[in-house]
Amino acid sequence: MLMLEAKNIVKVYGELAGEGATTALGGVSFQLNKGDFIAIMGPSGSGKTTLLNILSGLDKPTSGEVIIDGNIISSLNGEQLALFRRKQLGFVFQDFNLLDSLTVKENIVVPMVLEKKSATEMEERVHELASLFDIEEILNKYPYQISGGQQQRTAVSRALVNHPSLIFADEPTGNLDSKSSTVIMECCEKIVQELSATVLLVTHDVFAASYCRKVIFIKDGLIHSSIDRKGSRKDFLNQIMDNLAILGGRTDVF
Amino acid sequence: MSFKQMIWKMAKAEYNKYLFYFLCNSFAVMFFFMFATVYFNESVVQVKQSESIQYVLTIPGVALVVFTIFFIHYAHHIFIKKRKSEFSLLMTLGMSNRDISKLLLLENAVIGLFSLIAGLLAGMIFSRLFFSLLMNQVGIEGVSFQIIGSMFLSATAAFLLVFLIVVGKSLFLILTRDPIESMKSEQIRETLTMKSPLFGGIGVAILIGSIIGLYFTYGNPVIGGDYLIFWAIATFLGLYISLLQFTSFIIELAKRSKQFYYQHILFWTNLDTKLKQLTSIFMLVTVMIMVTILYSTIILFSYMSAEKEAIAQNPFDIAFVEVDILDTSLLVQKENQLQEHISIPFYSYSQKDTYYDWTNTYTFISVDNFNKLTSRKLSLENGEFLSFINVDPEHADGYEKNILFPIESERRNFELKDTIFDKRINDVPNLGEMIIVNGNDYASLKERSDGEEATLHLVNVENWKESGPFVKKIEERLKTGADDQDVVQIASKIEDYERQRNSNGILFYVSTFLSVLFFFGSFILLYLHLFSSVEREKEKYSKLRLIGITALEMKRIMTKEIATIFFIPTTIGTTLALLYVVAMAKDIGGITKHPDILLYFFIVAGVYYVIQIGFYLFAKRKMLSEMIR
Repeated sequence: MLMLEAKNIVKVYGELAGEGATTALGGVSFQLNKGDFIAIMGPSGSGKTTLLNILSGLDKPTSGEVIIDGNIISSLNGEQLALFRRKQLGFVFQDFNLLDSLTVKENIVVPMVLEKKSATEMEERVHELASLFDIEEILNKYPYQISGGQQQRTAVSRALVNHPSLIFADEPTGNLDSKSSTVIMECCEKIVQELSATVLLVTHDVFAASYCRKVIFIKDGLIHSSIDRKGSRKDFLNQIMDNLAILGGRTDVF
Repeated sequence: MSFKQMIWKMAKAEYNKYLFYFLCNSFAVMFFFMFATVYFNESVVQVKQSESIQYVLTIPGVALVVFTIFFIHYAHHIFIKKRKSEFSLLMTLGMSNRDISKLLLLENAVIGLFSLIAGLLAGMIFSRLFFSLLMNQVGIEGVSFQIIGSMFLSATAAFLLVFLIVVGKSLFLILTRDPIESMKSEQIRETLTMKSPLFGGIGVAILIGSIIGLYFTYGNPVIGGDYLIFWAIATFLGLYISLLQFTSFIIELAKRSKQFYYQHILFWTNLDTKLKQLTSIFMLVTVMIMVTILYSTIILFSYMSAEKEAIAQNPFDIAFVEVDILDTSLLVQKENQLQEHISIPFYSYSQKDTYYDWTNTYTFISVDNFNKLTSRKLSLENGEFLSFINVDPEHADGYEKNILFPIESERRNFELKDTIFDKRINDVPNLGEMIIVNGNDYASLKERSDGEEATLHLVNVENWKESGPFVKKIEERLKTGADDQDVVQIASKIEDYERQRNSNGILFYVSTFLSVLFFFGSFILLYLHLFSSVEREKEKYSKLRLIGITALEMKRIMTKEIATIFFIPTTIGTTLALLYVVAMAKDIGGITKHPDILLYFFIVAGVYYVIQIGFYLFAKRKMLSEMIR
């Protein structure tokens, strides 16, 4: 089942025909099916984050369209987009994006609060996700009292709380150590396997990308190549590194 | 790059922070100075010795000190919070404690000095401006504007004292705290360590107790005013404790009802995080609103009651005594013509006091004339007399009811029949008490003793407020015929009215000044609070926007928060002002006797609410546009 379709996405910053114009994306097209687990990789400045922002509706493309679950999101206005995002999409950010004044539990339920769900429903959902990601112990702590890995697991729980069909993750392991990264990527695997959601992550961390089923490489605003995972994670990791070497990006794994 | 150059560069890049801090401090100095211009004004000082103005200045004095300490502390807190992470970074890069202290002291010394100068200048300009504005509008005599050394001295000393303490405190904190901790300080919540409903209960008890205490002591003519400062401090203390405890108590309570708590989770957690800061703001704004409304009510009451009092004390527009036969041409007027003219002849007799070295003057009037004056139908036998006392029966306490006939040689011929209390004539000198006898006795008294006959004229005109020149004219005429020692016996509404206004003048000036000062103070405080947190709020909402909050929802939450900080203090402040008005009204006989005070209170409170709503809408718009930008 088709989940997301990007049709010839172009993004130009600055005046269109002006001298200072920078083309961040030069016509990117790809498709994502339900249950996919895909990473977008590329060197710094290749347009990864721009692409993710456009796909998730945080930014508007200069031309081209994004269709998620049958909705053309570039045609939605600000308010509709906000509602669409919190109902259909989940977000995980590099800097976790948790509210300091809220406890872990409260942070997780914020999207449900906005949806005006009942308290019992919230409680149930929080405990479900907390046990899945092993953060039950810290539910009443504040973000500054817990580790980065725990913060990111909180953010992952928050992203999933409204049962979204599609999860976007922007460098989810960017601020984490290797151990925490492993935990987070295992979480993503769980999301796909146990909750049958679709996950799209943007990363330049080879280790993180190796957990995915498919990696799309972009360079200079265009899709360069893509590889599918067939064998073990280790093999896939080596494959990704080979590809990056061709691309000219970072290849070191810690 | 040298140390100094680096500091200068950093300061230039972020001049906004410094400007904000500078403005806050200047404002505090200005506030101190403007209060000092009133407090040390010589005409006020003179009145202060004798009259109630001392007490009037008590509550605002206490409130002002609390306000300014907090204000400087708050401004400094915001400033240091912004600088702290920068300092910590510099410290981790190897800057020594000595350098940091040098930097901090240098910055604060420069800002403090400039604030002092700017504040004093602004204070001088504004108090002068305000003074002339008030003088022109209200026309108060007896107060003159002045600026003397003690005003500068006290404002400077007060500011420097608070400023040094505050700077010293943060210097201590920065030097003793772990730099890493300081870097994280933005995130850490201020939690309340002593949270208990019991404390809250004690706070409320102190608050209620202070108002009850004020109610029962303020009426006491001897010591009532002296206790005011005590009760005011108790009220403020009780208010602070109960506000602090009850906000946390209400949050706890809200947490118990999960559905309710989650529905407004952003509101509650925001309240919880800023609890201490918010409580202080609530407390101060409440106090300022209370003081403003209380004093505005007092002003309005004394201003309005000048007229009432004049009417109550003077049943006739003009009353005067003419010893010779009246020149009737005196009373002919082209404008503001006479409406009513009653002439009552009376006989006055003076005799030396038996014990003291002074002369008592007694006034005798025939019963027929008394009936004419008071619309009564009394009759007296020979040898009977009535004692008439020209006061309202309500105030009859303290008057001798069983007097003997005043002329000693006639004492055995006369017997007291009754004592009449009635307010029938103006307070003309020597006519406060009269002896009423029948026509025969009146005639024979006149023959037997060597007093003199005179006529009391009671006059009403078309418009008493315009009768000033007329009264002057009569007074001049009466003076021409009299000796220097003789009292000119005249009493009029207009003169009474003007006298009242003038004696209230200084009180009026001081109270209006304070009300306006506190009015702006509370606004600035609310505004400061709102916009000091704007960066944090922006960050919070940008995070929320990423997870899909709509602009409308954001506006709704913001509106709720702004409304809370605007209207909770207004409501509490108004309530406290009402209670204080009721308690302080005991001084003039209680609220039941002067229900119009309540009317004035509601007018003042109503006006305040309207302005507050206007300001709330303004601040809300400004804040929302700031957030959306």
